[in-house]
Amino acid sequence: MRNKSRTAQTLIYIGLVLWALINLFPVYWMFTFSLKDNAEIFGDNVVGLPRHWLWSNYISAMKTGKMGVYFLNSAIVATATILITLAVALMATFALTRLIWKRQKTLNKFFMLGLTIPIHASIVPVYVTLSRMHMLNTYWALIIPYSAFSLSMAILVCTGFMNEIPRELDESACIDGCSTWGIFFRIIVPLMKPAVATVGIYTFLQCWNELMFANVFISKSALRTLPVGVQALSGQYTTDWGPIGAALVVATFPTLFVYIFLSKKIQESFIAGAVKG
Amino acid sequence: MKKLIALVLALVMVLGLAACGGSKPAEETKPAETKPAETKPAETTPAEPAAPEQTVLKLWCIATESDSNRPAYLKAIEEYEKAHPDVKIEMEAFENESYKTKIKAAMMGGDADDLPDIFFTWSGAFLGDFVDAGKVFCLDDYYKPYGDQIPEVMLANTTYGGKHFGVPTTFNIVAMFANMDMLAEVGWDHVPETYEDLTACCDALVAAGKIPFGCAGKETWCVTEYLEPIIIKTIGYEALGKIFAGEATWNDPDIANAVTTFQDMINKGYFDPSGMALGNDEVKANFLAGKTAFYQNGSWNTGEINDASFKPAVALFPVMNAARSTYNQTIGGPSDSLAVCASSKNVELAAEVAVWLGKEICHYNYLNAVGLPAWIPDYDTSSLKPLLVDIADLVASCEGMVLFGDTAMSADPAQVYLSYVSQVYGCEIDGDGFVAGLTNDLG
Amino acid sequence: MKKLYSNKWQILIFLLPALILFCGVLIAPIGASAYYSFFDWNGFGEKTFIEFSNYRELFTSNAIGFMKALRNSLLLAALSVGLQLPLALALALALGKGIKGERGFLSIYFMPVLISTVVIGQLWLKIYNPDYGILNVFLRKVGLESWTRIWLGTKKTALGSVFVPTLWQYVGYHMLLLYAGVKSVPPELREAAMLDGATDGQVNRYIVLPYIKPIIKISVIFAVTGSLKSFDLIYVLTNGGPLHSTEVPSTLMINMLFLRNRYGMGSTIAVMLIVLCFGFALLINAIFREED
Repeated sequence: MRNKSRTAQTLIYIGLVLWALINLFPVYWMFTFSLKDNAEIFGDNVVGLPRHWLWSNYISAMKTGKMGVYFLNSAIVATATILITLAVALMATFALTRLIWKRQKTLNKFFMLGLTIPIHASIVPVYVTLSRMHMLNTYWALIIPYSAFSLSMAILVCTGFMNEIPRELDESACIDGCSTWGIFFRIIVPLMKPAVATVGIYTFLQCWNELMFANVFISKSALRTLPVGVQALSGQYTTDWGPIGAALVVATFPTLFVYIFLSKKIQESFIAGAVKG
Repeated sequence: MKKLIALVLALVMVLGLAACGGSKPAEETKPAETKPAETKPAETTPAEPAAPEQTVLKLWCIATESDSNRPAYLKAIEEYEKAHPDVKIEMEAFENESYKTKIKAAMMGGDADDLPDIFFTWSGAFLGDFVDAGKVFCLDDYYKPYGDQIPEVMLANTTYGGKHFGVPTTFNIVAMFANMDMLAEVGWDHVPETYEDLTACCDALVAAGKIPFGCAGKETWCVTEYLEPIIIKTIGYEALGKIFAGEATWNDPDIANAVTTFQDMINKGYFDPSGMALGNDEVKANFLAGKTAFYQNGSWNTGEINDASFKPAVALFPVMNAARSTYNQTIGGPSDSLAVCASSKNVELAAEVAVWLGKEICHYNYLNAVGLPAWIPDYDTSSLKPLLVDIADLVASCEGMVLFGDTAMSADPAQVYLSYVSQVYGCEIDGDGFVAGLTNDLG
Repeated sequence: MKKLYSNKWQILIFLLPALILFCGVLIAPIGASAYYSFFDWNGFGEKTFIEFSNYRELFTSNAIGFMKALRNSLLLAALSVGLQLPLALALALALGKGIKGERGFLSIYFMPVLISTVVIGQLWLKIYNPDYGILNVFLRKVGLESWTRIWLGTKKTALGSVFVPTLWQYVGYHMLLLYAGVKSVPPELREAAMLDGATDGQVNRYIVLPYIKPIIKISVIFAVTGSLKSFDLIYVLTNGGPLHSTEVPSTLMINMLFLRNRYGMGSTIAVMLIVLCFGFALLINAIFREED
């Protein structure tokens, strides 16, 4: 019996390690080929560490590819999106869970519709609206649509968290003479801190990847985001893999570093969203 | 009182948020707008201290850093700005595929601020759809100062209802480039000029373990660069031109024969099987690296191939059916063009600049060997690359030419056509299926 | 309190930003798409009202290939539910039981989720490259030359090759969701069952799975609607080719809108996509309710 469970245990471990390798290998390979020239990548040193560390690939990616600028743009768009999503979602959730009125449930369901709507389905009408409002070619052209598409998930998560805040707190604040806004800002918002991280992560995942809106709504090359930049660069260097690898690394590693340092926090927040949502 | 303050606060917050859609962008986007100044210099000409009355014209094109047209664009713009310090041309270059999405979305959105003043376009139906919708400015008056510096035939593809809407920036044909070093290894000292010779040469290459042709299956236009020349050499330019123009149906048994010829070549192993998954740049790189012996594509590649490490040569695809076609017929014509948005705020200036730029881009493209001249050269051409001179000779003796099919046809039929072409390359359908399908779907 | 919380104006102010954002960016465009789906229109010229012709053509025309695209994305959804989720669940169960290196495994498995889809796409393009890609190079090295394929260029292998990274990328996402559920099972329940002599498998089957059913439901909904919506990775890898073998509704829609100048038909596909996503979400909800 004990033997059997030990074998099972070993098998499980082998499986886990195998899957871990499958997840790590592409990242490792990306890193090594970003430092090689084509002769090494295409030749016999396909998976090994680079023989000559070709940092010039990174210079190409940063200079011609302007990956640094794109990364910064993506970061600005993501941060602003997260902030706006959060503010809007907190207010809406407060109205949906705390304030007293009819049809709260209906409106909540209405917002949940957003979970199923594909972002690409609205590309042209949104383009026309942004154009009328003279917002194309600004960060807002991405921030606003991304916020709107992140809203449903954010409300879903915030609802879970807000329902856990005891209503007695509201009552006592009310007795102390707090207004609705006072309760919202002084009681609810401070207690929603854990939700901030969770909403942040889900929103980040939503807007960090987006390609089509970013491609169509931004014409100025100085405002392009990472996905568009990576796509453009690999169009330029189709046959020269080194700089592409470097661009992919630049686009990926900063996020991964942040992740390594904050992985526990990030996972916990993500998990909180799953359980509460 | 407290309540009032809270309400004001809340209002500020709401307005702040709602202002994302209103007044705020003007100030909020400032950091965004200053940034280009830092990064732009590499992209366009260095930012000079702007004179107050300087007019800015936006130009959208596909001349990205890797595009062979880029030097010509930069040089022409630089010269224009030098001669006209009061005009600044802001060029934005997009990757080819995403450009199609961009320009169409911009035309649909229709707000003048979000459209460029001058834009790159393919001639034929691509520009025609915009012209029909009244989005393009007529250039007739702006061609007048140039007299007969451009032959009317070069404007045919951008002329709609007798009016001129585009400025050709180059002129290209489909040509068969060959690696003479590889051909020499199997005993050929010239590019085969009959189909029998071509098959003999390819068989010799295959027998020697070499790959004759490379063709990018990932980009169907590359397949048409092989199929269309075979068709024109089977049914002749007049018949093919009529089909592309929608004046005749695809129902012609000789087209099925042409497809069969193409698929025979594929089945005999003349084509690199990897090509199906590759893009054009990769296939071209294979040719330049000596992996394939031939590369049939547009003459815009001439400069690059001329400078390859092997001895290059150029020819046209051989005649398949002497009763209907001749050697001196080919696919080609002026396609890349500039056009002016009707909504431009400086539409007259933009039109003037567009014609001037088109002529000069054409000039430098010719000297850089990335295209043939649509405009009659009024400059020194004695230092042209030898391979380009060979192509110019082919064009000079040309009897008939038909524009690339996907450019000649309007968007929807063109995509249907491309879909059938890719099925031919994948050997999903045979010649009869190709003819029957196109006859049925396009009438 | 009740009076304070019932102020109509305040309620409106709290909801207004969300309503403006949501209706302006999501709901109004859907309305516009629904409207344009009844027209034959290239997006900038004259438009003609054609009633339901676009819908009829969408479901009957082979040239458009919507049914095939739909089949592809339903296949992806099926694989996602049938392969990706079970794998994610197995990982979550193995890790959730408490195992040495739990944190490390968790971090590694979640990593692909954080990488931009375009980066993943570009990376896999390199992995699949027929000449120099790591996959074919590996097969050649281990003497399986005959197994090498032009992965993304052959009709037979393209769809599978596109699905692999699509499924791979989000295993971590579902794993973490489910892991959260597994961790939330009260330890007393688990211990009680163990004391009764239940094996690990039995504990999982009778205690953990029923307990995390709501999370499984969410995972299934995300997996299915995510598959129907999938776009970026396919756009980067094949853009629907070769020979339309990897076409999904989203790539078809973009094709119609921007390449074929058929704005009306593109809008029709957009409407169908939304209806399908919504329909499936309702269906999955109903199935899980039925089981209870």
